[in-house]
Amino acid sequence: MTTEALHSASTDLASKSTFQSYKDIVQENDLVLIWISRDHIKPVVMKHGENFNTRYGTFPHTSIIGKPYGSQIATRTAKANKFGFIHVLQPTAELWTLSLPHRTQIVYTYDSSYIMNRLRLGPNSTIIEAGTGSGSLSHQLARTCGKVLTYEFHEVRCEQAKQEFKEHGLLEEDNGNLVITHRDVCNEGFKLNDRDCEASAVFLDLPAPWDAIPHLNTQGILKKNEKVSVCCFSPCFEQVDKTLKALKENGWQEIEMVEIQGKNFESRRQMVRTLDDAINILKDQKERKDAGIEKRNKMNKKILTEAAKNSKTENQTENSATTSKDETKAEVEGSGTEADKQTDATEQSPQLKKPKFNPFGKGFKVKEGDLNYNWIQVSKMESEIKSHTSYLTFASKIYDMKRETEPNDQ
Amino acid sequence: MNPLTHIAYDQHVLIKLPSDNSKICFIKKDGVIGLGKFGSFNINDIVGYPLGTTFDIVYDSSVEDTLTETDASASTEVKSAEEKPKEDSVGSEETGQPAKKKQKKFVNKPVGKIVPRLYATNAEDDAEEETSSSERSAIVADAAADLIALQNSSATNKDLINLGSKVQKMTSEEIEKLKEASVDGQEIIQKIIESHENFHQKTVYSQEKYMSRKQKKFAKTFTVEYLTSSGLLQYLFYKGDTMRINDMSIETMAMLLNLGNVQPCGHYLVMDESGGLLVYALMERMFGGNNLEKENLGTITFLHESEHANLDLLKYSNYSSEFISKHIKTISVWEFFEPSTKEELAKDVVFLTNEQINKLHPHKKGTYHRKLKWYHNQLELVNIASKKDYDGLILNTTLQLTGLVPKLGEYLHGSRPLVCYSQFREPLLELSHKLYTDLRYLAPTVLETRCRPYQSIRGKIHPLMTMRGGGGYLLWCQKVLPVDPESLT
Repeated sequence: MTTEALHSASTDLASKSTFQSYKDIVQENDLVLIWISRDHIKPVVMKHGENFNTRYGTFPHTSIIGKPYGSQIATRTAKANKFGFIHVLQPTAELWTLSLPHRTQIVYTYDSSYIMNRLRLGPNSTIIEAGTGSGSLSHQLARTCGKVLTYEFHEVRCEQAKQEFKEHGLLEEDNGNLVITHRDVCNEGFKLNDRDCEASAVFLDLPAPWDAIPHLNTQGILKKNEKVSVCCFSPCFEQVDKTLKALKENGWQEIEMVEIQGKNFESRRQMVRTLDDAINILKDQKERKDAGIEKRNKMNKKILTEAAKNSKTENQTENSATTSKDETKAEVEGSGTEADKQTDATEQSPQLKKPKFNPFGKGFKVKEGDLNYNWIQVSKMESEIKSHTSYLTFASKIYDMKRETEPNDQ
Repeated sequence: MNPLTHIAYDQHVLIKLPSDNSKICFIKKDGVIGLGKFGSFNINDIVGYPLGTTFDIVYDSSVEDTLTETDASASTEVKSAEEKPKEDSVGSEETGQPAKKKQKKFVNKPVGKIVPRLYATNAEDDAEEETSSSERSAIVADAAADLIALQNSSATNKDLINLGSKVQKMTSEEIEKLKEASVDGQEIIQKIIESHENFHQKTVYSQEKYMSRKQKKFAKTFTVEYLTSSGLLQYLFYKGDTMRINDMSIETMAMLLNLGNVQPCGHYLVMDESGGLLVYALMERMFGGNNLEKENLGTITFLHESEHANLDLLKYSNYSSEFISKHIKTISVWEFFEPSTKEELAKDVVFLTNEQINKLHPHKKGTYHRKLKWYHNQLELVNIASKKDYDGLILNTTLQLTGLVPKLGEYLHGSRPLVCYSQFREPLLELSHKLYTDLRYLAPTVLETRCRPYQSIRGKIHPLMTMRGGGGYLLWCQKVLPVDPESLT
């Protein structure tokens, strides 16, 4: 089969959830993520006749519908000759995590990606998640797993999440792979009315996971006779301790707690400022200083000779004499001791044509990366890092281990 | 039997040893696997148990089978795994010996009996067993607890004087003899402890520590695991192949799969220098190890810089070669960036009708079919190179990124992620600056993720004292389609 054929087949899956397929063109009623800036990504459903407003301008949905996903969209701002831009993206679980409306603290991709790998999640997995919270992880699980069974004990949050999953086409009743149940798993367990869960992995993001762990032993919740895994997500150490106790008491093995630390780096530039240039600045200052002294000496001489002349010339106006005297006074004081004043004086002097030597752009507003200067590339850690999200406690177990016999020994 | 959940014949599995090392073994019918000092066992004895089961190798007097020379050659352990066993070296009597000698020594070791360790499903079973909460010491949990309970343990070590090896009454020769005699790992440890003068003076904690150290060396036990991509990575790491995998850590690889939004239906453009580790991870995420064909039509287009693709590690995978060739398309960078045209290819082939083919001499017919196969293969490569709507670009390459990535980015569909792995941050930094100036890439970000494991024993929880450094960095951005500036008037 050629790749062309392969690809045309995948577009048939367009009816699947936008989180579980790839789309080409933005269509009406599509949920899109509008990227305004790094910290500002908005989920929007496309409707003809509606507008998307930002402080940079208004974007009619009609100008977006029909464009390929990933398109940059321009709009004229209030000022006639300027444009505002947005990017329209197809939602993915990871971008959703950056944009979703928070109902609770969420699991970020640094943690979730590790959890998904460690629980060995793939298209064959059925996973239990409790609680649903803001659904950040649920979306990632639904993207990757065969089946997601998620539980939320807060009724309002559960309804909100259910509505959201419905809109995103993730619910099982809409041909998706996610089932959400309103349930307090710590007290009522995981048992579903209409079927066994038969899960191969469990993720518990609960205040007291140790209360939920014994309920996992109920018949039908986890797969029997194969390795199943659990991850408990708790922010506090005391919770970890209680979790370890509960896991051990319930026969879980390979118990290990880890912490994930994720960091983002900004790509920035630092100006190259050489030693030679620093020396040259000093040399330049000295030169100017010397030039200033020489000039002043000349000027002083001139003034003195003029004064001598003036004393001889009686037809001198009072006004100009005062000025000369003042100038003389200032110049004489300056040339004596204070270096700073001298330099100032030389700078102000209009006769000195050579501009001040300024390789570092001191005193000017130099934009990072200005082509008049040299730069080195540096990475800057984001100014605020998530120094702690939660401790991840993993464990595994085989319920009812027995040996299977090969039916016909190959 | 499902090979994804149970130990089945003709599959590769990961065997974890007490020393924390692992090896990859092929489950061959009637074969024998030798684990060096940890004993050896018959493969048939473990087939049918769930993957993840821990087995003890026991030797009792009734065991008389010895591994003969012919059996030894039937041993299916993977050679490379044995090349450089990085055993735990704490006071080991064996550390000085070259690996070859060691291997030979154990060839004639008898094959042990297999006892699968059952998981305690009942809370009462080990509720009282506080002394052995360590995952590792759970290996000989019961015996250890008994033994420690027997000793009158002092609360402190104030009377302990370091006499070096004198406290151990057994000589290393005696221990060697015990091992030669193929006594149970359990029994050896017991004897070592019994002849340790100060063992009863140690605190309970240090008794446990001593036990678990001895277990790492002498316990004849192993766990059979499904060969996951992270298991494979760990195996390569322990083998000392960090260079081969460009120092990638499990958490970075995991992050890469999520940032790449890898899904079963996607078509991904991949460059991977790790011999196929990344491809294996992608396949695991896409297909879950399943050979079975569903409606699943995702593909990986694997770009390689040398004439032939190096996907060596896929030899350990349990996918059939048909499955691999259906889902992985390999193409060299030359063929990709400078593809022949269809017309150029057609020039080299004389197309014959069925009738004409039938008239051909048998061996000319063969030549013709080979030529035709080559033509279709080349045609497929041309098609691959003309496709401009890949669903993700995933890179692990040491080629210069600033020259490579913008070129590859052209083949990516709008709103799809680009994830690039590098062992070092600087090449990604340079790339990030390059992509900043290119309007086709939205918000390039350089990221780092590090996992810090803890000693997870209640009452003794702390981060591990030492761990592996490095792990690499990722650059992540979205491909976008900029507005044509001409249109803005």
